[in-house]
Amino acid sequence: MRKQESLTEHLDWPLFGALMTMLLMGLATVYSVAYNEEAPSLFAFSEKYGRQLFWILFSLFLGLLVFLIDSDIYRRFAIPIYLSTHVLLIVVLFMPAVHGAHAWLGVGSFGVQPAEFAKISTSLLLAKYISGLTVKQQNTRTVLTASSILLIPMGLILLQPDAGTFVVFTSFLFVMYREGLTFDPILLNFVNAIPGVRYKETWVGSHFIPILFALLFLSVVTLLLDSVVFVMPFFDTALPLSGSSLVLFGLLLIYVVSWLLMQRFTTRRERSRMMVVLTLGLILAGGLSFGVDTGFDMLKKHQKDRIELVLGLREDPNGDDYNRNRAMAAVGSGGFLGKGYREASVSSVRTNHVPESETDFIFCPFAEEWGFVGVLVLFFLYFFMLFRIIIIAERQRAAFNRIYAYCVAMILFYHFAINIGMNIGFAPVIGIPLPFFSYGGSSMMSFSVMMFILLKLDAQRKDVLR
Amino acid sequence: MNLEARRNVILSFIILMIGIYLIKLFYMQVIDETWTLRAQEIAEKRKVIFPPRGVIFDRNDKKIVTNQTYYNLMMVEDSIVDLDTAAFAKLIGWTPKQVRARFKEIVEGEGTYYNKITRKRTPNYQKIRAYPFLKEVTLEEMSKIAPHLSNFKGFHYEATSARNYPYKSAANILGYLSEVYREEIEEDPFYKPGNNIGRAGIERFYEKELRGVKGIKYIVTSALNNAIESYADGKYDTTARQAPPLKMGMDVELQSYGERLMQKKKGCIVAIEPSSGEILSMVSAPSYDPNLLVGKRNISANYPKLAKDLNLPLFPRPLQAEYPPGSIFKLVQSLIAMQEGVITANSGFPCDKSLVGCHNHPSAHNIAEAIQYSCNPYYYMAVRRIIQQGVKRSTNADAEYGLQKWYKYIRSFGLGKIFDTDVSGQRPGLIPNPAFYDKWYGHHAWAFSTIRSISIGQGEVKLTPLQMANIVAIIANKGWYYTPHFVRSIGKKGALAQFNKKHWTMINYQHFDPVIEGMRRVVNEPGGTGKMARLNDILVCGKTGTVQNPHGEDHSVFFAFAPMNKPKIAVAVFVENAGWGGTWAAPIASLIIEKYLKGKVSDPDKEKRILEAQIAFQTAN
Repeated sequence: MRKQESLTEHLDWPLFGALMTMLLMGLATVYSVAYNEEAPSLFAFSEKYGRQLFWILFSLFLGLLVFLIDSDIYRRFAIPIYLSTHVLLIVVLFMPAVHGAHAWLGVGSFGVQPAEFAKISTSLLLAKYISGLTVKQQNTRTVLTASSILLIPMGLILLQPDAGTFVVFTSFLFVMYREGLTFDPILLNFVNAIPGVRYKETWVGSHFIPILFALLFLSVVTLLLDSVVFVMPFFDTALPLSGSSLVLFGLLLIYVVSWLLMQRFTTRRERSRMMVVLTLGLILAGGLSFGVDTGFDMLKKHQKDRIELVLGLREDPNGDDYNRNRAMAAVGSGGFLGKGYREASVSSVRTNHVPESETDFIFCPFAEEWGFVGVLVLFFLYFFMLFRIIIIAERQRAAFNRIYAYCVAMILFYHFAINIGMNIGFAPVIGIPLPFFSYGGSSMMSFSVMMFILLKLDAQRKDVLR
Repeated sequence: MNLEARRNVILSFIILMIGIYLIKLFYMQVIDETWTLRAQEIAEKRKVIFPPRGVIFDRNDKKIVTNQTYYNLMMVEDSIVDLDTAAFAKLIGWTPKQVRARFKEIVEGEGTYYNKITRKRTPNYQKIRAYPFLKEVTLEEMSKIAPHLSNFKGFHYEATSARNYPYKSAANILGYLSEVYREEIEEDPFYKPGNNIGRAGIERFYEKELRGVKGIKYIVTSALNNAIESYADGKYDTTARQAPPLKMGMDVELQSYGERLMQKKKGCIVAIEPSSGEILSMVSAPSYDPNLLVGKRNISANYPKLAKDLNLPLFPRPLQAEYPPGSIFKLVQSLIAMQEGVITANSGFPCDKSLVGCHNHPSAHNIAEAIQYSCNPYYYMAVRRIIQQGVKRSTNADAEYGLQKWYKYIRSFGLGKIFDTDVSGQRPGLIPNPAFYDKWYGHHAWAFSTIRSISIGQGEVKLTPLQMANIVAIIANKGWYYTPHFVRSIGKKGALAQFNKKHWTMINYQHFDPVIEGMRRVVNEPGGTGKMARLNDILVCGKTGTVQNPHGEDHSVFFAFAPMNKPKIAVAVFVENAGWGGTWAAPIASLIIEKYLKGKVSDPDKEKRILEAQIAFQTAN
C-alpha cells in the first residue's frame, strides 16, 4: 500500500539532533559524577556510566524498533497499551517496597518503573479519546471519561506512593486546555442547580490553567504571609494574624480601590456587572486563602516541613533541608564558567555531599562543573526541544498526533521545571528525573520511546488523510 | 473560540519559567557569593599543617631543645555513636564529669562567627570536624588507650610534636610554651585556638623565628568528612617549613654544672664570654627541669607547685634581683677616678676608719692595693674627688656637677638601664643622678657627704647580677663590651644586628691595667680576699663582695674573669644569705671557670664541699 521509504525520510532532524546532543551531555555528566578511578573506561559495566551507556544504546534500539513499526498502531492499540501498563501499575503495588515505595518491577538493579511507561500510554489514550471529540460532543460523560483516563493512573501512582510522577500527570491539564476541553458540563450541573441561575457556560470551566496558576499564587502568598508577625503600631503588641487574614485584608484593599476607580471611570451599567464579578472574586479568593491556611495546618508534619523549606519559612541546612541546601551550594558554587569537567567538589558521587547526584540531582554536578554558561546551553537546548515539539505539534494534520505531541512537550516541561526547580530551591524535593540526563534505565527508555514515537508520528504525518 | 492562541499561553508559561530560573541561577552562581562560601564550608577542608618548632643548639652544637612525638586524642562529634561516657572516662583516667566538661570546653573554645546566610552569630565549632580531646599524650599513655579506641567510635589519635629538653637544664633561659590567649589569636592570624606560643625566655623572644611556616592543604572532603583528594591538584597548597635552628652562645654542660653547684642554695651564676658578649651560662637557683612545663597537663600540674615554692624557683634572679653591688663597684670607681684624672694609678690614701668603716689591713699605696684590700676609706676619698671637683663655687652645685659626670661614666657601662637584647625580663637596676637626689633632698640640698655610700657600692645604687657580670666582661676587655645575649645565630643569618655593635665605655684602655692587677692580687696574692678562687694553671682575676642584706645574712658575691691575659670567661656568682664573699661564691666561680676552660675540675674536694652545702634553703615538706 505505502511505498517503501528509507527510515530517516521525513525525520525531524533538529529535534533528533537536540535529543542526541542531550543524551551525550547526560552521559558525559554521569561519567563525571560517578567517575571511579579503578574502572575509568566508559564501557565499564560495573560503573553507573557503563550501565547508562547501555541504557542509552538500548533506548536507541527501541527507537529503531519504533521506527520500523507503522505509527498507526499507537492510535489503534491505544486502549490495549493503556490497559497493559495499568495491569503493571496494579502488579507493582504488590512488589516489595524500595525506598518506601512500591514502584519497581523486576529483579535487582534491572527493575523498571511502570509509572514511567504509564505516561506514554496515558498520552496515547488521551490523544485518541480527545481527538475523537468535537466541541459539541462535550458533555458530562465525555468530560468525565477524559478525566478518568488521567485519574486512574494518578490514583494507582499515589498508592505506590510516588508524589513526583503524580504531579507530572497534572501536565495533561495543559494538553486539555490547549485542546479546548472544558469542565463546563460538570460545573454547570452544580451552578444551574441554584434556583434562578441559568448559565450556558462558565469562564472557569475552560480557562482552568490560568485559574490554576492564580490559585497557586494565592496559596503561596497565604503561606508566606503566615510567617509574618504583624506588630500593631502604638500598642507594641504582636498580633498573631494568620496568612489568610492578611490576604483578605489585601483583597479588601484592592476591592475598595477598584470600586473607587469604577465610580470614576465606568458607566452605571458596566458597573453593576463588574461589581458582581469583583465581589464573587473576592469571596472565592478569600475562601481559597482561608482554605489553604486551614488545609496546611491539617497536613502531616513532614509534608508541612517540605513546603515550609521551599518557601524559606524555616531553615535547617543540616537536617530536613540537607539535600536542598547541599544541592544549592553545589549549583551556586559553579560560578560563571564552572569548576571544570570532573572538578565538582560538592556534588560528585565520591564526596557524596549531594545524595542522588547521579539521578534526581544530576543538574547539580552539571551546573557546578559548567557554571552559568553550561546552564545557559542546557536551558537553550531544552527550550529548543520544547519549542520544536510545539512546532511539530501545530503542523500535524491529525489531532491525535498533535495532542500526543503536546503531551510529550508538557511532560518534558514538567520534568524539566520541577527537577531543576528542586536543584535551585524553587520546588520541594520530590523525586523525578531530569529527562535524558538522570541515570536510570526506566526513565531513559520511557523518554526515548516517547520521543521516538513522536518522531515517527511526525515522519508519517503526511500519510494521514483525515 | 480560537484554540490555537492557547499555544501562546503555554509557550508564555515555558518562557516565563525559563526566564525566572535563569535569573535565579545567574544570581546564585554569578552574583551571590553565599553559596560558594557554603560549598567551601561543606566540601573543602583547609588543613593547616604546623611544622615542628625550630630546634636549639648550644655553642658546642649540642641539641638542647628538641621536639618529641606526642599524640592528640581527636574526636569527631558526628561520628560518635552511643558513647559510654563512664567507660571512656575510665579509659583515659578521668571522671565522667570531666569528660562532659571537656566536650563543653571544646565547643566554647572555638568561639563564634557572624553567619551571613542566617544573620546570626554561629559557633565555629562543627560537628564533622576533628578536635583534640586530649592533648600531648605520651607514646606510653597512648599505647594503653589506642587498643580500646575501636570501642569508642568518633575517637582517633594523631601524632603531634611537643618540646623536649634533653639536658633538663636552663629552664630560666629557654622558657616554655603554653596555649595562646584569645587576644593573641586576634592580634596574629597565625594562631588558632589550642596552638602553643612561646611564653617565656628564648621561646618567647624568638617565637617568630622558631615557629616556622605553616603549611596549608586544601582537601576535598566527603559528606562523611573523609578526605577524598587534594583540591585542584594541590595548586593552592603550601608546604609547612620548620624554622632553621637557633644556635646559642650558651654552653649547656656549663649551665648544667652550674645548676648542680647551686643545688640546695639560692642565688645565681652569670658567665659571659667577654670577646663576644655571649652568655655562657645563667643559672638561677634553685632551678627546675624545663620538661615540667611541656604541655597543658604538665603546666597545670606543675606550674602552681613551682609558683608556691618558698625558694622562688620561678624568680629570675640574674635579671630581676637588684642588689647594691658592694665591692665590685670599687673597680668602676677606680676607673672613673683615673679617667677624670682626680687620682692616678699610684695615688695612695690612708685607711681612715673615721670616714667609713673598714677591716684591718695596711694602707693602700696604689689602686691595685686598694682593690686587693677592698679599702673603704680609699674609695671614700677617691669618689669624693670625682663628685666634688671644686669647679663650682657652691658645694651643692659642685656635687651636682660631679655626680652628673659620674652618672655619664656609669651609664657608659650599660648600667641603670636594660640591655637591648634577647634576655627577657630584665630589671634596670638603679643609678642615681642629680635629678634623683633633687627629688629626695631638694635642689642643691645635697652634697657628697649626703650620698657618700654610693662610693663603696652601697646606698641607692642597685645592679642586677647580669649587669655586674657585664662589668667584669668590660674590665676583661679593657673598656668595651658587646650587649650580653643568648643567641649567636638564627639559622645561618647570624645574630641580631644589635649584638654586633661594640659599646665603648668612657674609660681609656690604660686605666684598666692597675684594676686588673688588683684583681689578680685578690685571688693570687697572700692576704687576698678571694684566695679560694685560685687555680693552679689558670690565672684568675677576681673580686669578692659582700652584699649587705637588711633582711638577714649577707649575700656572698664573687666576680672573676680568666685567664688574665686572654680573658675567655667573665663570671659573677651570688649565693644568697651565705655571708662572706670569699667562702662560697669564690670557689663556685673558680669551679665554673675551670670547668669551662678545661672541661673538668681538678679539685674534687672543693667541688664536693659545694655540692653538699645547703644554704638558707627551704626544704620542701
